[in-house]
Amino acid sequence: MAKRNYRPLASVKALQKTMGRYYALTNYHRYWGKPFRRPLAWVTSGAPVELLRSFKIHSAYPEQYAAIYSARNTTVALCEIADSAGYSQDLCSYARSNIGGVLRPDLAPLGGMPKPDLLVACNNICGTVLKWYEALARHFNIPLLVLDTPYLTDEMTQQAKDYVLEQLYAMAVDLEKITGRPFNEKNLAKQMRQSAEITSLWKETRQYCQANPSPLNAPDLFIHMAPIVVLRGSQEGIDYYRKLKAEVKERVALGQGAVENERIRLVWDNIAIWPQLFTFYKMFADKGACFVSDTYSGGWASLQSPGTPMESLATTYTEVFLNRSPEFRANQLINLIRDYKADGFVMHSNRSCKPYSLVQEVIRKKVMRETGVPGLMIEADMADLRAYAEEPVRNRVQAFLETFD
Amino acid sequence: MSEITEHVKNKSLELLLEEATLNGAARILRYPKSRFFGYFCSYFPEELILAAGLEPLRLLPDTGNSTPAELPAYCCSLAKGTLDMEIRGKWQDLAGIGFTHTCDTMQCLSGIWAASGHSKTIDIVPPVMLNTSGASRYYLAEMHSLLNSLMALTQNKINKEALQDALKLCTYTRKLATELDALRPDLPSQMVSSLMRAGQVMPRLDYSQALEKCLPALKEMAEPNQHRLKVLISGAVVENDSLFAMIEDLGGRVVADDTCTGYRHYSGPTVMEAEDPLVDIVRRYTEMPPCPCKNRSLNERMAYLNDLAHQRQVKCAIIVIRKYCDPHAWDAVALSESFRNSGIRTLTLELEGADVGGQERTRLQAFLESMKADSEL
Ligand code: SF4
Ligand code: SF4
Repeated sequence: MAKRNYRPLASVKALQKTMGRYYALTNYHRYWGKPFRRPLAWVTSGAPVELLRSFKIHSAYPEQYAAIYSARNTTVALCEIADSAGYSQDLCSYARSNIGGVLRPDLAPLGGMPKPDLLVACNNICGTVLKWYEALARHFNIPLLVLDTPYLTDEMTQQAKDYVLEQLYAMAVDLEKITGRPFNEKNLAKQMRQSAEITSLWKETRQYCQANPSPLNAPDLFIHMAPIVVLRGSQEGIDYYRKLKAEVKERVALGQGAVENERIRLVWDNIAIWPQLFTFYKMFADKGACFVSDTYSGGWASLQSPGTPMESLATTYTEVFLNRSPEFRANQLINLIRDYKADGFVMHSNRSCKPYSLVQEVIRKKVMRETGVPGLMIEADMADLRAYAEEPVRNRVQAFLETFD
Repeated sequence: MSEITEHVKNKSLELLLEEATLNGAARILRYPKSRFFGYFCSYFPEELILAAGLEPLRLLPDTGNSTPAELPAYCCSLAKGTLDMEIRGKWQDLAGIGFTHTCDTMQCLSGIWAASGHSKTIDIVPPVMLNTSGASRYYLAEMHSLLNSLMALTQNKINKEALQDALKLCTYTRKLATELDALRPDLPSQMVSSLMRAGQVMPRLDYSQALEKCLPALKEMAEPNQHRLKVLISGAVVENDSLFAMIEDLGGRVVADDTCTGYRHYSGPTVMEAEDPLVDIVRRYTEMPPCPCKNRSLNERMAYLNDLAHQRQVKCAIIVIRKYCDPHAWDAVALSESFRNSGIRTLTLELEGADVGGQERTRLQAFLESMKADSEL
């Protein structure tokens, strides 16, 4: 057996427990949702869940489930169901596998997602979510609430801020009707505080990776980001990240790296290649290359903006990096390379996710020009294995890593 | 097309058909006094470009298979083709290029263009949820920002009068285009498609004057269509008439058109009531029939298209999807289902660009023949 060049985290156990509890609660929602008057919402990863939590809505994330489908190698089968229902193969594979799972839950891991009572989408990550959730709203015939966060070509504008704020207040009114509970700003403020705490913990944990060797590698970041996506604003999430942070801190104190004999430090751009999570990143780890940071799981480490809870929600959710210009995103990558003393970066040109990927070549050029470090582009898909050509990818990765010899 | 022009011998018609074939390529030669401003999408308010003293030019790709290094293969050929033309210096004469935030591709293209092109770029980010709380206020503020950007670009003030004049010209052009659209059942599909597109690639006053002049001749030319299969076509940008000509060739007739470069570009109400002309402009762009990138309510687009099909007594629809165009590909599923429910048969055609070839011919033929066979039963 090939030597394992990888140090596992003890926190994985706590992660499994935390996430296991969340999935159990979610999947058995039909038993407790009604009696406790807690509707189930399917939400996009960039939706303002703090507001939903303040109404005691339980949220489930189709994107998160889609990542699980992919890690369990069921994406292709589920996408084929969506394909035959007419959805083009070129659409986002998260969306297609989710729709496949809706049409054929028996083929989906965990028996598919539990049926939602409402849908909440925020287009701060892409335009796909609007079309995807429209399709879901027609299928389930349930309310769809959309938060329209205008794309920021430059800095946040007053008109965009006012617009999003106004929609949030309107959404609160809709949620009052749906849940039968009044909007309570104090509850929202509490959720926002807890959310801020979890974000800080995630941010601090990530910052430990500035150490040499880095205590975490990209697959750690991808796996351990799950709670910040689905449990943002919850006490369980906070408890979990406290544990993780302590373990990572200790690794740094002991000088333990995630990758043995770390000699190349890299930054990752785009969503993980889930079905290849270990094999792909192992190619790097085997050569002593560690991904010390990434833009994807780092998307959940942005601190909240100031203001009243609603104002803060409006700005924080509009300013997410996928809603920003290539200029902004290039600078973000440049800062990561500088702060984490990276020797290079790898971009995953992810055919599913156009807003993430179409701008990457322009960003790659700018980042290479300004930092002087090399950047590699790999073509794949975050979930659909059919877009992954193993041999060419391996050859490109090897050639790239040889430039560091 | 030449046989049509020869047949008619109408100078205005000839001009418009030529312009449509050129798609703006000979603009400098033909209109040396005009300064053009490029745009991509029907949601970019032409009124503001005109008020700035510029001529709106819809940017259309000159080939369907460009591969500029700045974009990956899995991107629509509209973005790839026009960016490639920018890199080849084809848009150098333009005063600037305007981007409207519609789909993810356009959103990305605006940033890529600014980083790698030579032209000055300007953006407007309209609301996606056109009827949601605060949308019209936000849209109006964006419209004002766009006005400021255009004034900064041209170094000229744009006054209320200029806006009102532009609004009048657009209203008039839309009225003429609506008359032309009403003649569709009785005119060759590819000719109407050309005439609609001409109005997006040439100076607007010249267009409306020419269209006005040739409308009587067109009415004369109109031959009541008795045996052709009535077709509705829906899709994004269609930069040439190849598909329309093929439909015609196979015994069909496009009697209802919902493409970005077709009648959708002109449709919807135009109002001139408000003190601030920008308020009227916002209203028009909010109320025009939505494209798949916009939402006025969950099923408004489907309802509008079903109504249109009903009014024009259409029994079959062709949904054209440009390869890698997400919004139209998404809507194709719900749209064909809603058509099916109204008894309208649908063919979804995925095309690399606007050109159609042997494969499409076979599919179209089979589709139209099966429709004919059904109607003869
Ligand atoms: S992967 Fe990209 S396109 Fe798909 S839902 Fe996420 S942000 Fe949108
Ligand atoms: S709407 Fe479709 S065809 Fe138009 S730019 Fe977007 S992806 Fe391309």
